[in-house]
Amino acid sequence: MSLALSTLLFEWRRYMAAVMALALSGLLVLAMTGVFIGIGKGFTAQIERSAADVIIMQPGAKSLIGGPSGVPRRFIPLAYNHPAVVEVQPLDGAGGTFQSIKEVDPTRSQAERAKQGAPRQKFVQSSIIDTTPGSVTIPTDYSRELVDALRQPYTVAVDETALTTLGVKLGDKALYNGQTVTVVGVTRGYPNMMQPGVVMSRDTLRMVGQADTGPRVGPLMIKLRDPSQSKIVATQLNAMGNGQWKAWTRQELADANAGAMFEEGILVIIIGGCMVLGIIIGVAITWQTLRGAIMANIKEFASLRALGVGMGSLRRIVMELSFWVGVVGVAAAIGLTWLLSLFALSKAVIIALPLPLLIVVGGGLIAIAMLSGFLSMGILKKSQPADLLR
Amino acid sequence: MNTMTFGHTKVQGRHGEFAIEAKGLVKRFKSGKNYVEVLKGVDFDARHGDLTMVMGPSGSGKSTLIAALSGLLKPEAGRVDALDMDDMWSFSSGKIDKFRLDHCGFIFQGFNLFPSLSALQQVTTVLKFQGLTPDQAKKRATLALEEVGLGHRLHQRPAALSGGEKQRVAIARALAKDPQILFADEPTSALDGENGQIVIKLLRRAATEHGAAVICVTHDPRLEAWADRVIHIEDGVIIDDQRRTPNPDAVLASH
Repeated sequence: MSLALSTLLFEWRRYMAAVMALALSGLLVLAMTGVFIGIGKGFTAQIERSAADVIIMQPGAKSLIGGPSGVPRRFIPLAYNHPAVVEVQPLDGAGGTFQSIKEVDPTRSQAERAKQGAPRQKFVQSSIIDTTPGSVTIPTDYSRELVDALRQPYTVAVDETALTTLGVKLGDKALYNGQTVTVVGVTRGYPNMMQPGVVMSRDTLRMVGQADTGPRVGPLMIKLRDPSQSKIVATQLNAMGNGQWKAWTRQELADANAGAMFEEGILVIIIGGCMVLGIIIGVAITWQTLRGAIMANIKEFASLRALGVGMGSLRRIVMELSFWVGVVGVAAAIGLTWLLSLFALSKAVIIALPLPLLIVVGGGLIAIAMLSGFLSMGILKKSQPADLLR
Repeated sequence: MNTMTFGHTKVQGRHGEFAIEAKGLVKRFKSGKNYVEVLKGVDFDARHGDLTMVMGPSGSGKSTLIAALSGLLKPEAGRVDALDMDDMWSFSSGKIDKFRLDHCGFIFQGFNLFPSLSALQQVTTVLKFQGLTPDQAKKRATLALEEVGLGHRLHQRPAALSGGEKQRVAIARALAKDPQILFADEPTSALDGENGQIVIKLLRRAATEHGAAVICVTHDPRLEAWADRVIHIEDGVIIDDQRRTPNPDAVLASH
């Protein structure tokens, strides 16, 4: 084990401040970015977890959220022309008011009724599934029982994190756009912190009068005979479409959705601000901690200098030390953010931590640590072996 | 013989040949608005196989002398020839570092051991900088630690070692390099009599058995018994230089 690493392990308390500074800088950026990606995921979970291998949208669409995504209805039969395609369904959905129903005793006074609380009214985003078993629009983690339940007319499912917001529980009746619906299912893992959502069947959506019946439909969700071929088929579908549409694999679309959030100027400013703050805090604290830690061992470094170990080698020790501080900092940052994300999830907030984000932030933290190491190298000049001679 | 000769000093010198030679060393320190001359034109030499003791009261300039001899502190005037390096102070600091790495050992009053490293690692760290492979370094370090009687303490960190043991680790760290010149600055003053005796005997052995030129700065007169040569320095001037026959079996009375 190298001198740098064993020093870090043995004197870990001395380096704790630097590690925590890095961890908190990392947490700041990871959590902020993760929350924004998570907000996007809240809107797109339904399609990203569906069985659709390929999605067809307008040629100009940049993601599911931004840009024109719907297509003409006549594209549905066109997509079936590809021999690998087994099912094509348009994505559909709408928005509406959702109101819980409270049984009120009419003999009570106004004041007593007020105490009970008014029924809640919320705007919800409704998304649909086809209830044919194995349909492309059904998220892969839906149980058969849930699909069976949703097959009944005027039924909805609500995510567990939206139950309180909407003021309902399993089996309750509620008003959706003024029509009575029954909550027959509770989903898990579809939190949306911006707007609660409900899931219903395409038939229910039609019965409440909100289904697409005109010449235009939403993005086409396409199931393939062999999902592993999705990349090739998407390319071939693009060739067949001749520029009228753009076919995405599910993964491509998910990546684009995650990126789409960052085209919002305000988000870039918020995250950029967090990054600048993180870098300043990280560098300042890590730098001073490393300086102090090197200073604590300055006599030992000086004795190495006396034995002929050059300044360059001592600088390398400092750089190696700061690299390891960075590595521990990254681990701590990811650990803390993961814990925070678990807590957030219980409050319906998704903090998404995709690998590329972890790599970028992790690399950044190690760079901060190395920069701090670089800055604190000046202190090595104090390692004058002549001072050891008295 | 495969000796390289420049001037008087030699790398692979036999006992009695010059290892280091200095002429007219002058060193001043600034003190307020005035300069204090710590070395006033000192001439000095030390030979292979000799334990040369430099003695004098504090402030006499003895530590400054070995700093100038070893390339740690540049004198204002004078020249130092050490082994194959003619006029050491005309070389770059990198060259002087390399010279120390290849040829010099250092022992300080404070032991200056890294608290995180075991005794074995203290020694191997330096050896690795000399370019030894980890295996070679480990072998050499183990031998050096066994020589100073710490074969059973290889994996102890400084916190688990006594003062005497720490100084022996520092000596092993210096000796493992097999230095031709060994500088020691007050090596026994932080130790009790018993441990001081072990340390001075090890220095004696480095001179006799390894042929190193051992230059030991001390103000402890009882160490004189082990020396081949005792130089007294006072106010930056050498006032006395005598050769004597060392008594390797002398006993350092306990404090």
